[in-house]
Amino acid sequence: MSNKMSNTWSITGRGCIVFTVGLFFMAFVKPVWASQLPSIDEVLKKIQYNTELTTDASAKVVLTQQKSGQGTKVVDMVYYRRDADKSFLIVITAPENEKGNGYLRVEDNFWMYRINTRTFQHINRDESIAGTDAKGDDFEDRKLTELYQGALDSSGKEIISEAVLGKIPVYLFEIKAKVRDVDYPKKIYWVGKDNFLVLKEQSYSLSGTLMQTAYYKKYTMVNKKYIPVEHLYIDEFEKGNKTIVEISDIRVDPLDDKIFTKAYLENLSK
Amino acid sequence: MGISIAFGVMILIVANSFSRGISDVIFNRVVRYVAGQVSVAFYEKNKIWCQIFRDKERMMKILDPEDPAILDADENVGIFSRAIGNGKGENVMLIGIDTGKKISERSRIELEQSFKVIDGSFRDLADEHIENPAILSTDKARDLNVRKNDVIRVRFKNIFGQEQAARLTVVGVMKITNVFMSGVIFLELKNAKQLLGYQPWEMGSMSFTLKQPKRDAIKIADKLHSRLKPGIARFVAQINGGGRKERAVILGYFNTDEAKKRIRDNVLLEGAGKDALGKKGVLIPRDLAAKTGVSAGQAIRVAYDNKFGGKKTEHEYTVTGIIQPKDCLSGDVVLLNEYLFYDTYYDDLPGNRGPPAYVPDPSDPVYASLATEWVLLPRTKTTDDFKKKMRQITSKNTKAAVIDVATMYEIASDVLKLENALNIITLAAVLILFFIILIGVINTLRMTIRERTREIGTMRALGMQKDDIRAVFLLETSFLTLFSSAAGIILAFIVMWCVSGIRFEFQDNPLGMFLVDGRIFFMPTWQGIAVNIALIWAIALLTAYFPAKRAANLKAAEAFRHYE
Repeated sequence: MSNKMSNTWSITGRGCIVFTVGLFFMAFVKPVWASQLPSIDEVLKKIQYNTELTTDASAKVVLTQQKSGQGTKVVDMVYYRRDADKSFLIVITAPENEKGNGYLRVEDNFWMYRINTRTFQHINRDESIAGTDAKGDDFEDRKLTELYQGALDSSGKEIISEAVLGKIPVYLFEIKAKVRDVDYPKKIYWVGKDNFLVLKEQSYSLSGTLMQTAYYKKYTMVNKKYIPVEHLYIDEFEKGNKTIVEISDIRVDPLDDKIFTKAYLENLSK
Repeated sequence: MGISIAFGVMILIVANSFSRGISDVIFNRVVRYVAGQVSVAFYEKNKIWCQIFRDKERMMKILDPEDPAILDADENVGIFSRAIGNGKGENVMLIGIDTGKKISERSRIELEQSFKVIDGSFRDLADEHIENPAILSTDKARDLNVRKNDVIRVRFKNIFGQEQAARLTVVGVMKITNVFMSGVIFLELKNAKQLLGYQPWEMGSMSFTLKQPKRDAIKIADKLHSRLKPGIARFVAQINGGGRKERAVILGYFNTDEAKKRIRDNVLLEGAGKDALGKKGVLIPRDLAAKTGVSAGQAIRVAYDNKFGGKKTEHEYTVTGIIQPKDCLSGDVVLLNEYLFYDTYYDDLPGNRGPPAYVPDPSDPVYASLATEWVLLPRTKTTDDFKKKMRQITSKNTKAAVIDVATMYEIASDVLKLENALNIITLAAVLILFFIILIGVINTLRMTIRERTREIGTMRALGMQKDDIRAVFLLETSFLTLFSSAAGIILAFIVMWCVSGIRFEFQDNPLGMFLVDGRIFFMPTWQGIAVNIALIWAIALLTAYFPAKRAANLKAAEAFRHYE
């Protein structure tokens, strides 16, 4: 009996020791799994790195907008972009009543071109593109890290955790705007853990109301950079509205300087 | 003849009263609420909807709404929005109104006639126990499928372009006669400003209602424009570089080639890179650089007290150049490119408290390059010029806030053209009718004198002179005209009373904007009536003069021989 008791004590005693040591380590040593969460700023930088094009680019874009009670509107456009001097050009190719209209941005100047009047008009970056919910600033390149930073909870910790989106492990985090001239002061991101690609994005108004959910369903790799070629935007404020963006025929060949001029846009529509 | 004159007077009074009524409705009920008779608009960030001035107290002192020519001064706060009611969505315009403001009796009556609340009251807008109380038109309530106490969700961008969403509680429904205002939802001004992102010390654009808009609009606009000349924007700050703090005056400079050249020509620029005066330009004088221990390429921290909110603002800038002014500026002035300067100046308006600091003199060689508190747009006379000016606001590359003073003649010219057209049509119709009546009067007078030829002969035979004969007919005509005019006035008021009693239902018809409470609005004035009578009397005398003169020249013998 004393042997059994001795054995029991040994097992129990060892167990206690292990347990106590384990507690000690947990109190003073950060668990391995907790240190694997990156900072939000790191994630934003990686997102930016993955998607930032350093060359010229052109693509075809199709915007399909469905509005509750108003049917579907499809807008086809050709998009040219040069991030070096913040230039881009959008030329509408369909529907027929918008064909030939365009939007040209060169540095801080942003113009809208109307083929029926053959005139250019200065506009702001939040001008609607072809009457859709897409805005000029959706097509420009603005660094995520310059616009947003990680949001903190009440204890001062960054709001980031791990989660699963469908079957994909993701980082789930919240960011808030650093500057005033962004549409959405608060966003929540679901970003793939393996590749740091944005899979889902929720955008909130100043009052904290969920306004829009975006799904980036498909990416393609061009010049070692990822470009989301299929996105879905769901209007959370007015149910039934959604916009699908499909990007195709992506090229990263150097573009002629003359493309980013008013004359080019005018000549295209002749 | 008396009946013709009475009829003519009636038509003239009714037509003029109708025309004046149309003008009154257009100026005081349509233009006033749609565009304002005189407006002072503030724009920031080159955006038409970013209408904000950061220091309300100061601006109200400049604008002086107590001017005797001004009837009312209102702050314009409004935004286009998407509203969702009970299962239905509509585009609306959210507008803030100050229900606590004292307004003139005339304005109160006009307001109640233009926006007749049929359920609820304007006072309910100020109820702080209700979440964003709102009043909307019967049309919008129907379109959104809401009634009193229902909640409407709205989505809009605030004045800074940030997405915003809010819940409004319907506290009233109103019937609107002005078709331009049918999409409006009224909120209490304080609530509207909060939703749109204004701080309590900030304001939206202003519109002024005048006692005599046609007479005074341009004069008042010019007066306000002359008061709005901006000074040089500046703030006094603490500069911290290399661990040493110094007091400095921060000025901005415009990012134009001309402004930058003027600076280069008047300062010695040391240690400067290629783009020292570019958009990130920060120029510090040599003395100040030495005191703070900074040089080009190093960072300085600039800290200053805000005018409002009890805050302190701090920024870090990288010095792009050390300057040695040549007979300009002062040794403690730091120059920032307007792209850096205005970002902080407007968002955190400086208090500039403490001991007096350097103020640039207009004779300073670089004065014209210095950033001003705002840019005042020139006055324009025509709508086309006004439209060009508005397009320039979005195209201007300056970061400065822009102020514009305009009258209804520029903003609402299409509505005023409509008023002119209606007045011309009314005048043409009156002239045609009048001409017809005048012919009748002339013929009647000639016939009367012809029929009384023998009577004239008798009077001449009795010794009456030519002047007496002429006077008889002229006096007869005068008295007939006066008594007929009196009858005409009575008839005119009867007609106006009857016509204005008819109610029209022009719900979605633009013509409805000319009605007051669904009825045609006549505006007779005693001065106008007196002028009309005087005109009729003068014309009647003129038309009577020549036949009367002919009658007076008849010889007695010839007159006696006349037979009809």
